[in-house]
Amino acid sequence: MSDKPKRITLEEWDLRYEQLQRAGVRQPPAVAIGGRPNYDGPLSRHLEDGDQRLLKLRYDNSAAALRLWNFLLTEEDRLHQARAKGKKLIGTMKDLGTVPVMAYSFDNVVAFYPDGAWWIPCVMELSAGLLSIADSLGIDESFCPVRAMLGAFVTGAHFPVPDRLICSVGATCDDFSAIAQRLNSLGHPIFWWEIPHRRKPDPNEAAINLPGGFRAPKCQVEFVKSELARVKAALEESAGEQLDEKKLSAGIKEANQVRRYLAELRHLAFTAELCPIPALEMLIAEMLAIHFCSDRRETIEVLKELLGEVKARVQAGIGILDADAAKIFWVNPVADLQVMNLLEDCGGRVCGTEYLFTHALDAIPEDLPALEALARMALADPMVGSSTERAERICTDIRKLGAEAVLISRIPGASHCALEGEVIGEIVQDKFDIPVLEIEVPPVTDSMRPTVRTRLEALVETIKARRKR
Amino acid sequence: MKTIIYTCPYVPAEWIAAHGLRPSRVIPDAAEAGGALGRVEGLCPYVQGFINEVITNKQAGGIVITTVCDQMRRAFDILVRRCDVPVFLMNVPNTWQSLGVQKLYVDELKRLGRFLIGLGGKSPLLDDALAEIMLKYDTARTSILAAGGYLPAREYAETIAEFSRDGPGRMPNNTTSPEPLIEGLPLAIVGGPLMRRDFDIFDIAEQAGGRIVLDAAETGERGMCTPFDRRELRDGPLMELANAYFGGIQDASRRPNSELYKWLKRKLIDRGVRGIIFHRYVWCDMWHAELQRLKDWTDLPVLDIDTTGDNETHRHRTANRIHAFLETL
Repeated sequence: MSDKPKRITLEEWDLRYEQLQRAGVRQPPAVAIGGRPNYDGPLSRHLEDGDQRLLKLRYDNSAAALRLWNFLLTEEDRLHQARAKGKKLIGTMKDLGTVPVMAYSFDNVVAFYPDGAWWIPCVMELSAGLLSIADSLGIDESFCPVRAMLGAFVTGAHFPVPDRLICSVGATCDDFSAIAQRLNSLGHPIFWWEIPHRRKPDPNEAAINLPGGFRAPKCQVEFVKSELARVKAALEESAGEQLDEKKLSAGIKEANQVRRYLAELRHLAFTAELCPIPALEMLIAEMLAIHFCSDRRETIEVLKELLGEVKARVQAGIGILDADAAKIFWVNPVADLQVMNLLEDCGGRVCGTEYLFTHALDAIPEDLPALEALARMALADPMVGSSTERAERICTDIRKLGAEAVLISRIPGASHCALEGEVIGEIVQDKFDIPVLEIEVPPVTDSMRPTVRTRLEALVETIKARRKR
Repeated sequence: MKTIIYTCPYVPAEWIAAHGLRPSRVIPDAAEAGGALGRVEGLCPYVQGFINEVITNKQAGGIVITTVCDQMRRAFDILVRRCDVPVFLMNVPNTWQSLGVQKLYVDELKRLGRFLIGLGGKSPLLDDALAEIMLKYDTARTSILAAGGYLPAREYAETIAEFSRDGPGRMPNNTTSPEPLIEGLPLAIVGGPLMRRDFDIFDIAEQAGGRIVLDAAETGERGMCTPFDRRELRDGPLMELANAYFGGIQDASRRPNSELYKWLKRKLIDRGVRGIIFHRYVWCDMWHAELQRLKDWTDLPVLDIDTTGDNETHRHRTANRIHAFLETL
C-alpha cells in the first residue's frame, strides 16, 4: 500500500515519482518487465503531448494509480507499435465493449474505439483543433463531443487510421450514427452491423435472461448472434486468421477476468465506509473494460494492482474523502474529467455509476456457445433498451449501494440526453424519494465551473440536510 | 373503427388497414411550447410536436412509433408513461443490405399485426384483404404521383399529407392545370418531415419566383413507398409490402445511406432542379449531418433552413432566406 491516501497535483506526482523510483517501486520507461512492455514514467511527461488538462486534475497518490494513468496516456504509442509489428488495427465503434472481446481473441489484432477521441478536446484543452475540423465538415457544436473523432481521422495525429472500421447502428444515438456516416462519406469505409432496440418479450414469447438482469426475446438474441457472425467473418478476413470456438471462449474468459477485478473494485469503492479511491481513477478504470486500452494483459495487471491498493486501504480503514461525504450515483460519463474532481471538492462521493456501458462490466456467460454469449452481452447494453429499463437497473444499484442522490450528467448535443433524464429522474424519485440533479458537462467546463460547482454544492447540502430529518 | 396513428414512413398504412383499422399518419402542426414535457433542451422540434400531438389526440386507438431515429425511439418511453392509449414500438433496422435485417422488418410487421389484433383488429392473412388494400393504395399513390407536375407545390404536398392521414379516398384534382406547370425556377426541398406550418415554404418559394418540383421531404414523395409489383403482390403480399417500404424508401438514417443520394441524383435530373432548399430541425442529427455532404456532393446551390418549428421570428427568417436564395439564382 502507498502512504496515506490523498489526491495530489501533477507537480506533486512528479516529486512522488522520484521518491518511488528511489525506493525501487517504479521503473524508468521503456524498460521491459518480465517480457511485458513498460509504460512507466513521470506523469508530467504527457504534457509534451499537449495534454494540458493534466495540470488541472487531482490524482490518487498510489503507485497503482500512476500505473493506471500511464497506461491510459500511452495508448497512441501502443497502437503505432502494434502496427509496426504487423498487427491489424480494428476501429470498433459505438458498441462499447462487445466487438473488442472478439477482436482480442485473435493473435494479431488490436482493437480500439476511435470514439474515445471525445476526451481529446478535454485532455488537450481544445488545443488540438479537432472540434474546429468537425465544424468545417458540417458537424458543429449541436452534436455530441464525440464529433472530435472526425477531426482525429482528418489529422491522423491521435491514433493510426485503423485497417478496418466496424460500427454498430440501429438502437444507438443519432449523433454517433450520423458522425460515422459522415466519416464513411469522407472515404473511410465502415462495416455496419445492426443492434436492434431491446424490447420486453411478449407474453408467451420465448425469452432469455441477459447479463445484468435485463430480458430479451430469444429471436432478438438469435438476430444479434447472426450479426456478430458477420462481424466475426469480417474480422477473420482482416486478420487472415480463423477464430474458432476455443479461441473466442478463451477471449471471453480473459475479458471476464477484467470484469471480475472491476466488479470487486467497484464494490469496494462504492461501499467502503471511507472512500478508498477517487471517482476519477474509478472512471478511468471502468473505461478500460471496453477495449482494454489496446493491451488486454496490461489492463488485467493494472486493475489487479489497483484492486490490491484499494483492498489494503479498506482493510486499514483509510480513504481519500471525509466519512460524511454525500453518496451520489453518477449517470453518464463526463466530457470534462475535472468534474469528477469537482464533485469530491464539493463534499460528494461517487457511490454507483452508469457510464453507458454496464454491459462491458457484467460477466459474460462462459457456459454458452461463445457467439451466443456475446449476443446476450451486446443486447444487455443499457443504451439499446428503453430509458425505463435503464432507470430500473440504476434503482437496483442504488438499493445495493445506498446512494443518497442521483446526478445525471448531460452530454452536450447527445440525442439520448434530451429525453432520458426526465424518465430516469421520475422513476428514481418514485422509488426512493431522493434528489435527482441534471448538469451539462462540456469538454472544458472552465467558463461554467462556478455554475456547475454551485449545483453540485447545492446537491451535497441537500443530501446532508436530509440526513438530519 | 379504431384509428391507429403514426408518423414514420416505414409504417405501411396498408398493413394497418388490412387489419380492419384506420391508419392515420400524423403531421404535427408545430412544436408548441409547454405540453407534456418537462424540458425540451436538445429535443428535436418534430419529436416534441409529435409527442404533444399524440397526447392530445382524442381519436387515437393506438400509436405506432419506430426506432428510425433515436429521439423518436425514446419518445416511446415518454408516451407509455404519459398516455393512456396503447403504444407500439416497431424496430426498423438502419442497415438494409442483409437478408437478416429484411427478415427482421417482416417479423416486426407480424408483431405489429399481433398488436393490432389485440386492439380489436382482424387477421389480414385469412383472406385476400391485404392484397386488395395494397392495390387500392397503390392505385391512389400512382394517381397522386402523376398529378405532381400539374398541381401547385403546396397543393401537391397537402394531397400527399391528406392521403397519408386519411388513406385512398378523394383523388387529386389534377385538372387545376390542364398542362404541366412550368412557371418559376425549379427547386427541390430535401430533408426530414415537415410540420404543417412548414408547408408555408411552398408558398414562400412561389412568391419569390420559384417552384418546388421535387418534394424530397419525409412527408413528401420521398416518404412514399415504391410501386408494388402486381404479380408479387398476388403471390406474397406481405413480402411485397416489405420490399416496397423497407426496400423502397430512402432516408438519411440508412447505413450506409448511399441509396438516398442515388435516388436524389435521379430525381434532381428528371425534374431539372436548379436549387435545393435543405430543411432541418435543430437537434435533428441525422439530417443536419447530411447538409455539408450534400453541398459537397451536388453542383446545385443549397440553402440551409434550420428551424425550431415554433415561432413567427423563425418563419420570417425562413421567408427572407428563401427570397434571398431565389434572388441569387
